[in-house]
Amino acid sequence: MTTATLRASRSRIGAIAKRHAYVLWRSPHRLFDVTIWPLVDAVLFGSIAVFFARQGGQGGSRTVGYLLAGIVLWHVVYQAQIAVATGFLEETWSRQVLTMLVTPMREWEFVAGVAAFGLIKLVLGVGMVTVAAVGFYAFDPGTLGIWVIPVMLMLLMAGWSVALFVIGLVLRFGNGAEAFAWGILFVVMPLSGVFYPVEALPAVLRPVSLLLPTTHLFAAGRALVDGRGPSWHDLGLAALTTLLVSAAAFAFLVRMLRVFRERGYITRYT
Amino acid sequence: MSDVLVARGLVKDYRRGRAVDQVDLTLREGERLALLGPNGAGKTTTLLMCLGVVRPDAGTVEVVGHRLPKGRSAAMAQVGFTAGYLPLPDRIRVSEYLRMYGQLYGVADPVEQAVRGLERFGIPQLAPAMGTELSAGQKTLIGIVKATMHTPRLLVLDEPTASLDPDVAFRVRTGLAVLCEEEGTALLVTSHNMLEVERISERVVFLARGRVVADGPPAEVAASFGQDDLEELFLHLAQDPEVQGVDGRGGHSTETSKGARP
Repeated sequence: MTTATLRASRSRIGAIAKRHAYVLWRSPHRLFDVTIWPLVDAVLFGSIAVFFARQGGQGGSRTVGYLLAGIVLWHVVYQAQIAVATGFLEETWSRQVLTMLVTPMREWEFVAGVAAFGLIKLVLGVGMVTVAAVGFYAFDPGTLGIWVIPVMLMLLMAGWSVALFVIGLVLRFGNGAEAFAWGILFVVMPLSGVFYPVEALPAVLRPVSLLLPTTHLFAAGRALVDGRGPSWHDLGLAALTTLLVSAAAFAFLVRMLRVFRERGYITRYT
Repeated sequence: MSDVLVARGLVKDYRRGRAVDQVDLTLREGERLALLGPNGAGKTTTLLMCLGVVRPDAGTVEVVGHRLPKGRSAAMAQVGFTAGYLPLPDRIRVSEYLRMYGQLYGVADPVEQAVRGLERFGIPQLAPAMGTELSAGQKTLIGIVKATMHTPRLLVLDEPTASLDPDVAFRVRTGLAVLCEEEGTALLVTSHNMLEVERISERVVFLARGRVVADGPPAEVAASFGQDDLEELFLHLAQDPEVQGVDGRGGHSTETSKGARP
């Protein structure tokens, strides 16, 4: 790739990121996802945790840590996924898909643009849930230590992978599949053991949960809550499954793009 | 003059039948060509294959020497496209919209080119307007400014003047003619307004049931079918069961979205 090509790619990625910044800036109701929703989640799961902790018994404070660390880390996946998936959906809603396809922009540049802008939403959303956890429940995610950073980075990758999968479904099945943009994570969430070890899942679901990178990442997160330091076993499995899931999501999207072009599905958006 | 668009043997089958059948299309630098045909004739599918958005089942497309789909990005840098039926995005100002597309097209100074483009079509006052504040005609004009701000080698306009009043349509035609003359931009246009087509294009290609049934200067093509003008030729071809198939409507095509357009 030449310097000129790289510069052109950077410019196109910046153009897409800026376009979506305008959309968010001028649609205050879209701030719900990065302000109210994280706040509601923090209050909901924080209060459940406090309630159970006050019932006494073993592991009260650990429960608070698991739930609040879980919801903070969950918002990394959620915000990353929703920003990229709705970034594409925005172009379908505003009927810009055809116009954008007839530009030199490559598909990966579009995804990079919405992902780059999504990082701002992610900082806002995760920041909001963190502030609520600290302010209302005196839970400081900073106590998890530096090893929370690779956990968060891999959760980011996992969120983006789910988004690529959702975009692939929308390309294949049209806007009817947009429900997956919001719904799919509610399937991933319980299977990943966001708030509990997956041993708590029904036995039949455990093999499925082990295939998800999020399962190992939340397990690694709980090890940090417990003060056990980095769980290399979980981090290793997380890295491996993150790579596999990312590759699978990318391959799925490429395949769906091909089907989209072969079957002329663009007419759905004109 | 070099060829800007070379499409050879394009074929596209959809579930309900063949939409495009062995279509050849060549467009030279500076040439103004109209792709015509009744609804379902295969115009849009042909156009979309030439733009790399729909993959042909057979045949090849080269745009400014770049073979699709491999050279799509380089090819599209030389292409401008707009369609009268596509809206401007919400929640974005005209100036921001043009700047964004300028960046996507790799224009060195997108802000300046946006201003110049708006002035070329006599609408600099629209720069600060939101897309939702514009009339249908103004949106079409902004689409044309967007499609021309990077001085493309090939300009593709799908139903460009459908929402324009006669005065604005005249200005658009004049602006496009100047662009083609001065910059050597080739123009590929589809329209249902035959008078418009006669004024804007020097060559027409008629499609029916996915096949090219006529190709040449508008007057010659009309005369070759014993008709006085393109309007009469269009009606003749649209109603001819030989050309249109048994249902008289080219009913096997899948260009279903056409009928649903606003």
